[in-house]
Amino acid sequence: MIKKLILTILLLLAFSGQCLAEKKIVFAVDATWPPMEFLDHDKKLVGFSTDYMTAAAKAAGFTAVFKNVAWDGIFAGLASGKYDAICSSVSITDKRKKAMDFSTPYFKVRQALIVPKASTAKSLEDLKGQKVGGQIGTTGYFAIKAVKGVKPKSYDEVGLAMEDLNVGRIAAVVCDDPVAANYAMDKYKDTLKIAAVIESGDVEYYGIAIKKGNKEVLDLVNKGIEAVKKSGYDKELNKKWIGQ
Amino acid sequence: MQEQQQTTTIEVGDGAAIPRSSDTGLFSAWWVAFIGTIAMIGYLVIFKPDPYLDIIKFLPDGILVTFQVTIASICLALVLGLVAGLGRISKNRLFNLAASTYIEVIRGIPLLVQLFYIYFALGRIVKVPDLVAAIIAMGFCYGAYMGEVFRAGIKSIDHGQSEASLSLGFNRSQTMRYVVLPQAWRTILPPVGNEFIALLKDTSLVSILAVSDILRRGREFASESFLYFETYTLIALIYLLITLVLSKILSTMEYKLSYYERR
Repeated sequence: MIKKLILTILLLLAFSGQCLAEKKIVFAVDATWPPMEFLDHDKKLVGFSTDYMTAAAKAAGFTAVFKNVAWDGIFAGLASGKYDAICSSVSITDKRKKAMDFSTPYFKVRQALIVPKASTAKSLEDLKGQKVGGQIGTTGYFAIKAVKGVKPKSYDEVGLAMEDLNVGRIAAVVCDDPVAANYAMDKYKDTLKIAAVIESGDVEYYGIAIKKGNKEVLDLVNKGIEAVKKSGYDKELNKKWIGQ
Repeated sequence: MQEQQQTTTIEVGDGAAIPRSSDTGLFSAWWVAFIGTIAMIGYLVIFKPDPYLDIIKFLPDGILVTFQVTIASICLALVLGLVAGLGRISKNRLFNLAASTYIEVIRGIPLLVQLFYIYFALGRIVKVPDLVAAIIAMGFCYGAYMGEVFRAGIKSIDHGQSEASLSLGFNRSQTMRYVVLPQAWRTILPPVGNEFIALLKDTSLVSILAVSDILRRGREFASESFLYFETYTLIALIYLLITLVLSKILSTMEYKLSYYERR
């Protein structure tokens, strides 16, 4: 009898605790995309996106929990409900829109072409017959595939593609411009450079990917993004992480 | 008090089991799996061409790469395995030590780590192309496993055989080449066959080096179409089909070679 009573009380406490707490939204992050999202030396998830979403959460009144997930399969995990949303520099594309919902855009990017310092290539068209690398399933990789005659090579992480470019196994890498800047101007500044921002490609916007039909999470995230934009905090973050 | 010692040998291979002709349970299991796999692939491609036919069309060059890596690395592994196996039983101290160390070192490092090491770590020093790096890593890794198989196979041949051969005037290397190895080969083949199949399955790891094998091609398809379930189902079925066919071929070969045991 006493046991049952204790159990009931415990259950009640547990439930009430949950009701009182803020709504918890779990975001999947592939932390291999500096400076947007990456692991720092203390293995902490940091970057533009996570800062942005933490601020948005505060403004909209939910708790943002970040979960480090591998890029390949990140969309499959969203579809199967392993997390509520993806906050990992996901460019909004028509094809992706069919499979998931997107928040309002929060960041503008273009695809940048990175080549070795000595290379004279100015566009993907200059690299016909050569291997060009990108991260699997990214808009950068799709941009490579769209150019006939270039041999696309897909990597699990953009960092591995950069290393292969640095060693000289491939002729170029295509990825989002903030990431390109991070690699070409910081980590590999002696060997690599940004050749061009791909003109043929459209301007892309990052959005938070949310499981199709999850209106509650979508509204909360949108509310947060609006608030961050209004407060001007996004400009501060730009300065902090991207230096613009 | 007398201690009772009991020794049991458990034969376990890390590859797909090669069905023995006497083992009817496994034999029928092979047929069930084989026909089931063919039927599944056929059904999916014919009745659900969208997306399965598209996926199948996306994969052929990946299958080719998988075979290339498998065959090249098994050749390398056989050569390395033979050398390592002979080294392990060699009376030459240095040769013996070198072979044993090679086997110990390689067997103590996960294949995935070896792949990364050869490609990315050594890549800074020697620029090996991706396919070559994959073949070297797989070949060296399986060479070490094969070394042990060869050693056991050679040891299994009765010492009287070499004694007889030596007394007939053959020297050591002739004895090995004409008397011991041809007999050992029959003992060695089943485990080597298992390693072969295990190697084929492990080639899926090379997709991590951006080598476009079956798995990498499938992942590329899935990442663009978001058809994860469909793509990986088909990839699993294709791997299964290949290993089933291979295991059948190997079991037939084994049966042919076991002529003397059957008599």
